[in-house]
Amino acid sequence: MDSDTDYAFPALVAARLLLASAPLPDALKYDQQLSSPLTSYSRLREGIYLFQHGVDPYSGGAFRHSPLLLSLFSTVLPLTPYTSPLLWTAADAVAAWALVRIWRLRTGAKKTSRDRQIAALYLLNPYIFLPSLALSTSSIENMLCLLALMFACRGRTSASLLSLATLLQLSLPSILLLAPVLLLNITRPVSRLALPQPMDAPLKRVIPLIVEFLGYSALLTFASTLVCGNWSWVEKTWGASLTLPDLTPNPGLWWYFFTEMFDHFRPFFLMVFSVHLLIYVAPLCIKFQHDMLYAAFLLIGVLAVFKPYPTLSDPGLFLSMFSIFPEIYPYLRHPIVTALIHLHASLLLPLFNSLWLRQGTGNANFFYASTLVFGMGNGAALLDAIWAGLRIAIGELKEGYEVAQE
Amino acid sequence: MRWRGCWRAGFLLALHLVAASAQGEVFEEDLTLRPLRDGKLEARFSFATVLKGATPRDPGALTIDDEAQHYTLFPLALGQILREHAVTELHLTLNAGKWNYDHWGYPEEPGVGTGAELWVWMADTSPSSVDERWQGLRHSLAGLFCASLGHLDDQRTTSPVLTFQPEGSLPNFTHPHQLRHATLPSEHVCTENLTPFLKLLPCKSLSGIASLLNPHRLFDADWHGLGVHVRYREGAGVEVRLAFQAVFDPVRYSHNMRRDWSLRSVFDRTIERACPVARSSKVRIELPSETSYAITPGPTDVVNNVATFAIDSGKEALDISMQWPEEGSFEYQDTSKAPPLTDISVRRNLEGTSQAEARLTLELTNNLPVQVSAGYLETMPWHLQFYLHTLRAYIGGAPRDDLVNIISYSPPVPHSRPALLQAVLTLPPHATLHLTMDVSKPFLRYTEHPPDAQRGWDLPPAVVVPFAFGDLPNSNGTAAGEPPSGSPQTQQRAFAQGRRPRRMYTPVMLVDLATPDFSMPYNVIIMSCTLIALIFGSVFNLLTRRFVVVEVDARPEKQTAADDAR
Repeated sequence: MDSDTDYAFPALVAARLLLASAPLPDALKYDQQLSSPLTSYSRLREGIYLFQHGVDPYSGGAFRHSPLLLSLFSTVLPLTPYTSPLLWTAADAVAAWALVRIWRLRTGAKKTSRDRQIAALYLLNPYIFLPSLALSTSSIENMLCLLALMFACRGRTSASLLSLATLLQLSLPSILLLAPVLLLNITRPVSRLALPQPMDAPLKRVIPLIVEFLGYSALLTFASTLVCGNWSWVEKTWGASLTLPDLTPNPGLWWYFFTEMFDHFRPFFLMVFSVHLLIYVAPLCIKFQHDMLYAAFLLIGVLAVFKPYPTLSDPGLFLSMFSIFPEIYPYLRHPIVTALIHLHASLLLPLFNSLWLRQGTGNANFFYASTLVFGMGNGAALLDAIWAGLRIAIGELKEGYEVAQE
Repeated sequence: MRWRGCWRAGFLLALHLVAASAQGEVFEEDLTLRPLRDGKLEARFSFATVLKGATPRDPGALTIDDEAQHYTLFPLALGQILREHAVTELHLTLNAGKWNYDHWGYPEEPGVGTGAELWVWMADTSPSSVDERWQGLRHSLAGLFCASLGHLDDQRTTSPVLTFQPEGSLPNFTHPHQLRHATLPSEHVCTENLTPFLKLLPCKSLSGIASLLNPHRLFDADWHGLGVHVRYREGAGVEVRLAFQAVFDPVRYSHNMRRDWSLRSVFDRTIERACPVARSSKVRIELPSETSYAITPGPTDVVNNVATFAIDSGKEALDISMQWPEEGSFEYQDTSKAPPLTDISVRRNLEGTSQAEARLTLELTNNLPVQVSAGYLETMPWHLQFYLHTLRAYIGGAPRDDLVNIISYSPPVPHSRPALLQAVLTLPPHATLHLTMDVSKPFLRYTEHPPDAQRGWDLPPAVVVPFAFGDLPNSNGTAAGEPPSGSPQTQQRAFAQGRRPRRMYTPVMLVDLATPDFSMPYNVIIMSCTLIALIFGSVFNLLTRRFVVVEVDARPEKQTAADDAR
């Protein structure tokens, strides 16, 4: 069994590399489910091209990636048709390794029999590997998120806060993960869902961590401003998540809502949708203070449903992380319904997108309806995870008794 | 009594003329007719008024009252607009149709882009900036010409200085001049625009060459466009030139498919009287190269293949006609065998069947045996997002990216600014250069779609300016003396000499963007909000309600409350 575990991970990575270097149709690069305007590879290349030719890439509306990615890919790591698949497969491999490490830290074991399955569930999840094949930078965001969680589980506060600060530079909605990562740094990741207790670590220990995180964020913001030369990148990258200037369709709920919104109400509803994301942080962190990793997992689920510019990577990360919480499986109420809704939506999304935009036989409502179904599927998964995480505390019941809520 | 009336009118007229010449206003009108090789007839009306000794208004002096301007022949409405906004040079064209460069050659007036095109050179100043005056100017001109020029707002305005150089001179004000250029390809031209245009002429359409401007015939032409050009010529003054260009098809009007034409047959009018305030009033016909034609009446003089008719007052009505008596019905040339009449031919297309992305292709053919350098300008509104890193150039399938040199690019800003691409393309002799670039189509808000949303958006024409013909001469090539005739150098010099940079406009394109369902704003809002509220409510239900263990046997009095999930 040891030899199997040793070979499984490299075999999976090799399989992914093979898939990435196969000649895939370019349609994958422009697919709207796999990359959003904030993560699209062709926009990244356009920004790097303009940057290298002396045009400010943030003076237009095409390039919305962080200046850190701009400087990274224009100086250290060039993006060519050969190096890009390697880089993205490497990002996914690091993310899978981080997930396996989180699992090991959670169970406290050095090697377990489930490591292979967890790595496979991450690397072979279509929601994860398809955006990675499309070279969407959401794979890099997933990697940074898992690295932040892994370092927090290990107790390496600086590394986890640095990863989170970098993730914040790439994607503003990940600010939701700040609270659980901070609290995870001061608690243990061991599973305590079944034994809920109030948090045993003093909250005062969070304050230096907050200061450290703010310091890292300020440093990276300053570095981004140095790369750019001015502050115009803030409005184009972070501001895009708040003002939604680009209404390209994606599997989320925001784009069609704000396409059909009248100008008079736009600012109000943009504010409502953004604040709505923030509402979930405190209740979930308080309710699951005994198991902050689970709170982080649930907030990743919230992001998957309600993020402004999601791709398939975000629900992909949420679904893959189910694999590190096997204790809740018996308590999930409707896993098959969720799986079937996901299957339904994942088949309909590309079909209706193509019918609307490429064949012209459908209209925007078809794709919008499939995003609603997808949202329902993700919401059902989130609700089931919350229920199971709470239900596990009650434990096994005798015959003839059931748990309800009043 | 009638004699006395005539004498009085003549006396007033003489006073007018004296006053006008004392003021320094000169009015000249000109009609150029050119038969084209496919049986069509190009007509160009030009009405020029020069205000001698005048200079454009200094925008720095906009806060103080302007000195009184007295115009006799110079159009008052236009003059007031020019001084109100301190405009130095202005060019406005309103065109309809597609100018066929290959078969009609270069137009007399270079601005043949379809729709409305307005470009001005204005000096910058601190109290009111160029952009404020640009907006005021657009609205004033929209009111004057009954055209929707107010739509030429920030979403269509750029500053392509390399292509639209000033045609006059720019006076030396404290701040430098700036260019503002905007096009509206979907603007239509009709009688509503011609009527105020004619009102700007001294003689209106009552006498002189302007009496030929019959809207029924003009707007029936294959191509027609009117233009207003204002420029400042140092030493001469401010010149306003009103132009009308049209391409008629006499073969279509005639009963028996003949290309004979006359002023009566083309315009349904003749020139009855000369305009009394015009210093010169001429009709010029460019004579075709074959000799089997006949012109009546006899021209005043013929110089260099151009027959000139001077319009004098007092003679009978002038009706010029040109016939081809030996020709039966006109035979059209085989267009595939007819050589193009311009130095380069341009074709621009948008390829692709998806409403999310497309490919812009440009095909330039060099018809000369020497190398040609051409400037390429694209002012594309944000309805097409360029991906400049995908710009590729091919000649015959082989990649030649070295032939494209991008001078400047400013990317488009959604909902705000158009893209501006200025490049120099080098075309080898007798070669066809293919440019392709990936573009993506944006998704507009509900309120941004026009009323007929499924029609699509008109995209403005690209402007190509061939400016250099032949290679630059080598420094160590020719020693003393002229190179032998017939050598490549003399050939290139010959090509470079006769040609000046002239703008060529591609046809406009139509892009269809994906539309949302316009009947559904309320439904979308409620359905999305329902889903969000459903999930929100369920999450908070689960988080805030107490868990209770309930017995499901038939013993309802036994209920125990377990500890919470805390």
